[in-house]
Amino acid sequence: MSYFLNLLMSGLVIGSLYGLISMGFAIVYRATGMVNFAVGEIMMLIAYISYNLAQIPGLGIAGLLLTTIPVSILLGLLIERVFIRPMLGEPMFARVMVSIGLAVVIRSTVILIWGVEPKAYPRPMGDEVIKFGELALYPGQIFSLVVMALLCLLMWAFFRHSRIGIAMRATSNNETTALLMGINVKRISAISWALSAVFAAFAGLSFCLMFSLEPEISQMGLRGFPASILGGLDSVIGGAFGGLVIGVAENLAGGYLGRGLKEIAGFVLIIIVLMVKPYGLFGQREIERV
Amino acid sequence: MRTQTYKTTYADLVALTPHSSNWAWALIGLLVVASAPLLLGSHGLNILSAIFVMAIGILGLNLLTGVTGQISLGHAGFLLIGAYAQAILTTDYHLPAWLAIFVSGLVAAAASLVVGVPSLRLKGLYLAITTLAFTFIVRHMVLFAEKITRGSEGMAVAPLNLFGYSVKSDMPFFYVALAMLVLFVLMTLNIMRSRIGRAWLAVRDHDIAARAMGINLMHYKLLAFMVSAFYTGVAGSLVALQTRYINVDTFSILISIEALAMIIVGGMGRVHGALLGTVLILLLPELLNFGFSIAGNRFTTLMADRIYEIKGLMYGVVILLFLRLEPEGLAGIWRKVKRFWVQWPLSQ
Repeated sequence: MSYFLNLLMSGLVIGSLYGLISMGFAIVYRATGMVNFAVGEIMMLIAYISYNLAQIPGLGIAGLLLTTIPVSILLGLLIERVFIRPMLGEPMFARVMVSIGLAVVIRSTVILIWGVEPKAYPRPMGDEVIKFGELALYPGQIFSLVVMALLCLLMWAFFRHSRIGIAMRATSNNETTALLMGINVKRISAISWALSAVFAAFAGLSFCLMFSLEPEISQMGLRGFPASILGGLDSVIGGAFGGLVIGVAENLAGGYLGRGLKEIAGFVLIIIVLMVKPYGLFGQREIERV
Repeated sequence: MRTQTYKTTYADLVALTPHSSNWAWALIGLLVVASAPLLLGSHGLNILSAIFVMAIGILGLNLLTGVTGQISLGHAGFLLIGAYAQAILTTDYHLPAWLAIFVSGLVAAAASLVVGVPSLRLKGLYLAITTLAFTFIVRHMVLFAEKITRGSEGMAVAPLNLFGYSVKSDMPFFYVALAMLVLFVLMTLNIMRSRIGRAWLAVRDHDIAARAMGINLMHYKLLAFMVSAFYTGVAGSLVALQTRYINVDTFSILISIEALAMIIVGGMGRVHGALLGTVLILLLPELLNFGFSIAGNRFTTLMADRIYEIKGLMYGVVILLFLRLEPEGLAGIWRKVKRFWVQWPLSQ
């Protein structure tokens, strides 16, 4: 039982990482209708920057958050302004390819600057295991779970009640109509990229607080896809839920069925789910006109 | 002077070439390429052969993504399947290598049904991610089915044997690759002017509208996946025959991205675009190498250490630049240059 519980818990922890990443996907998708294939790489870049920031003595976790988040917002705005905005109004394929190109560029640049060797990330919250009955969790794992729960709530309220959130939904639905309704589409796109970068920053920090920092972190972006697909690309909360499901499924498959299955369990799961529900579990069905 | 082309009959619209002079030019071009062994050393021939082999796969991806409009990030998977099919069929089942090339293509085509069937319900990005998932699954299956694929050890591949003559050295392989490329280019051009090619274009432009026009979407989408995978599978088996040793790491996700870069740089949906894009992208590292060797020693060691990253950076930058500045790709540049040339002095 304790084996199962621990598998479940570590699945939830990894799942919360996937959830954070896929919420980052979903925000950009919700606001601009494009998938940002570069989320994993943006997360990698922010994680490496935060590694340099964490070298400042006496910063603590609060200081780390207070420095990393503004940096990530600036980075999101910069990327949007330089690479994404010029493509506004271009076909979707071109825009998605821009994000793929961007992903490759960022990954290569980061490796060229910081190298491939793993870096030991400082542990500002300590490294002692905290016990809850049979469960044992590291502070980094708790951080990841708590952050995801909080952001999930915030995002739900944001899209439901805030003016900007509703404007984002309108923009994703139809850019031109939104523009005619007086929504500043460019600003919406900028805000969504900044928000997405903040999610990437939280995901990156959680990753760093649990593992050591190495270039494989960018793989997490790809591994987060099944989560966002499962939840539906346009559903932020669905992405979080999908992340948890995929994380648990991977861990259970790895724990009971064999080590090799852990890596692909998520991908197998989504191929099956998509055959039944082509827009994910929570995604909205698109109605098309000829 | 040749002026605009005016089509007066339906037969003109589906003709393989609009002018008979195109045949002459194509033949001259082919002769020039075929005489490359007179000028180039073994390194140059190897690069050219790699370009020909890759171009076959890119023609296939172009049929699926450029012509039918189904984004695929899974072509590294088909390439992998083709290469392993070649290795396994010749070593374990003792199939003659030339036959195994085509059987490998068929194996990849059969595997494409795994992604092709979900593609009937999925569109755009959902499909792209499913094909990505396919690549991951294939890689892991190859790694873990150790009895069949030798796992992470990789496999040695027997050389091609034609008419009792073993194609081991660079020059014979160069001609084999060139012949295969010519075969596949002709095949593609002919598919494109048939009912199938026109149906694919209609599906790309708007699939629901195409369906309303009486095009069976299931039939044509699956066909596009299978044909595309067949091309890529054949390319994979040729890769195996060229490198003579294959390993899962040869076919990383970067290949799928590289392949998309090639069709974007070349110009989506154009046969000559696919060829030009392949040439440009595969020659880029060589140009860079050359530039660095001039720049001096310090850069050469940097290049040696970080070749993978520098290549990645370059592909990324090239994708971004072309999407931003010339969305029609090299095929578009070619068209503009040609128009300028033909209409001079009247061209603006």
